Amino acid sequence: MFGATAAAMVVIPLITGGRYVPTVMASIVLFFILGALFDFMLGYLKIVNFGIAGFLCAGAYGSALSVLYLGVSPWLGLAIGGIASLVLGVVTGALTLRLRGIYVGLTTLFVMESLRYTILSGREFTRGASGLIVDPFTPLLGLTFSRRDPITYYYLLLALAGAVYVCLHVIVRSRIGLIFKAIRDDELGAGVLGIEVVRYKLLNFSIATFFVGVFGAFYAHYIGILVPTTQEFGVLRTVEILVIAYIGGRGTLWGSFLGAILLVGLQEVFRDFAEWRLIIYGAALVAIIMLFPRGLAGGVLQIMERIRSLRPLPNVPRQHNRNATE
Amino acid sequence: MSDTVILLQLTIDGLTRGAMYGLMATGLALIFGIVRVINMGHGELFMLGAYAMYFVTAVLGIPPLAGILISAGLLFLVGMALERGLIAPLRSRLGENWLVDGYVLTIGLMIILQNLALMVFGPREFGVASFWPGRVELGDLVISNERIVILGAALALATALGVFLNYTLLGRAIRATAEHPRAAQTLGINIANMYTLTFGIGAALAGAVGAILLSIYPAYPTVGGDILLKAFVVVIIGGLGNVWGAMLAGPLLGLIESYSTAFVSGGWQNTTISLLVILVLFLRPQGLFSRQVARP
Repeated sequence: MFGATAAAMVVIPLITGGRYVPTVMASIVLFFILGALFDFMLGYLKIVNFGIAGFLCAGAYGSALSVLYLGVSPWLGLAIGGIASLVLGVVTGALTLRLRGIYVGLTTLFVMESLRYTILSGREFTRGASGLIVDPFTPLLGLTFSRRDPITYYYLLLALAGAVYVCLHVIVRSRIGLIFKAIRDDELGAGVLGIEVVRYKLLNFSIATFFVGVFGAFYAHYIGILVPTTQEFGVLRTVEILVIAYIGGRGTLWGSFLGAILLVGLQEVFRDFAEWRLIIYGAALVAIIMLFPRGLAGGVLQIMERIRSLRPLPNVPRQHNRNATE
Repeated sequence: MSDTVILLQLTIDGLTRGAMYGLMATGLALIFGIVRVINMGHGELFMLGAYAMYFVTAVLGIPPLAGILISAGLLFLVGMALERGLIAPLRSRLGENWLVDGYVLTIGLMIILQNLALMVFGPREFGVASFWPGRVELGDLVISNERIVILGAALALATALGVFLNYTLLGRAIRATAEHPRAAQTLGINIANMYTLTFGIGAALAGAVGAILLSIYPAYPTVGGDILLKAFVVVIIGGLGNVWGAMLAGPLLGLIESYSTAFVSGGWQNTTISLLVILVLFLRPQGLFSRQVARP
């Protein structure tokens, strides 16, 4: 499944060519990986990072400003963006992750807003609301990164996102991932067994914020202009990412891919009806929470289970022990 | 103007603004303290109250004081319907562990209400210049009638809520539900009704504030965002779920805002306040006005 999807993501823009398809697919990949990173925190440790757009912002501005003022290469900027977001994440996490979950959500929300207001106010340095122009990536290994031809950006993003996804996948399948799930399902119990709950939460939060920062830096050089609005780096961007993770299905990582395809697809279909698009976002979110808590991924898993159960099974007599379960 | 007059002027300004933040936050704290949901749609309830006030007073020509009551009443019904229709089923399905989902559910509500308003009313601002024109002059000190009414209305609403929660049977039942839902149920309190009622009261407060402030914040689809953030600041400073803390922290925030305009230039005000909130969350997450000793 994974191989086929990855192959399709590589091949489709080659077949279609042009600018439109790679651009749309780039948004799908970007939203997918951000959704997966959100899910890495939410679905595995119940950490609600309501300020994820703030970490994206830290990465984007971290890279853009260091390229502009320190003259470093945008490629190094990817690492700088990651580290900028990581530092913010470690400080925020170290101070809040030992509190109840709701405090993490609120603190990250205000960290995001403080950062955004600071960028808005520090006009001389960040150009504030008039927007910071960011240089594109410099040529590497004979590849040029021109904004007129988004295909090289797309493949760079696909490679980055693929690598990060594999990394997250390995972590959640490892011993560490098992500990994450133990903490998620019973925090007190895990603590009693000698697991250092706060340390694992901090580990998870640091990994996620670092990668979010890297994609923020990529975004800066890809999009070319940074504006600290709530659509870009505020509540609305966070909500978009959160909706993708929820609709995709929490606790799966790959569910966000389905969520991203659905939402970016809707965005393209409803391009002329912006307000309808957002109403559908909201309605989808409410419907998922009320009716389909496992999201699209849950639906897919259910269908796969159904297919599996169609295969002939050894004839086991059904047990009717209704009285025992009541 | 002498320095004392400027200081007094800033104080009055801050107190009126803060009284309204306090009332918004009181609704938020009440809902969080009892229903246990962080209502991200609270700003949109404020917005609905503002639209209701505009149509009741400017279009139908009903006097403003009656308009405030009508807005509050409408939002009371909206709040109860939202609780019964969405929040109660979610709570009964998920049991104890529903905090995050409840939070995200209200985000969905926020998006829907905001964009429905955009479709129905458009991005245009619906506002009125002033309900109570004129002003009072005490020497150099100038206070507009509007501010006096706002301050008076805030005090009246806060007092009414205080009396209701402390001295009526229903108010006590709500507080008992907040204290210990299961024990309250054992004592014969219908806690499902208490949740619905509380959400309705919180929504009615937001609607009333939206109505009272119409001359300052005209009604437009995203007006709630800014107000919600302010209400969150107040709720965090006062302590999550602490109703009295929110009532005190509201005027405190108003004063900080109004004094800081005198010292800090324009945009940095928001940064300062956000940083202040982060500081409170780090140093005293239980809020400034909470007697709770243990860290939550």
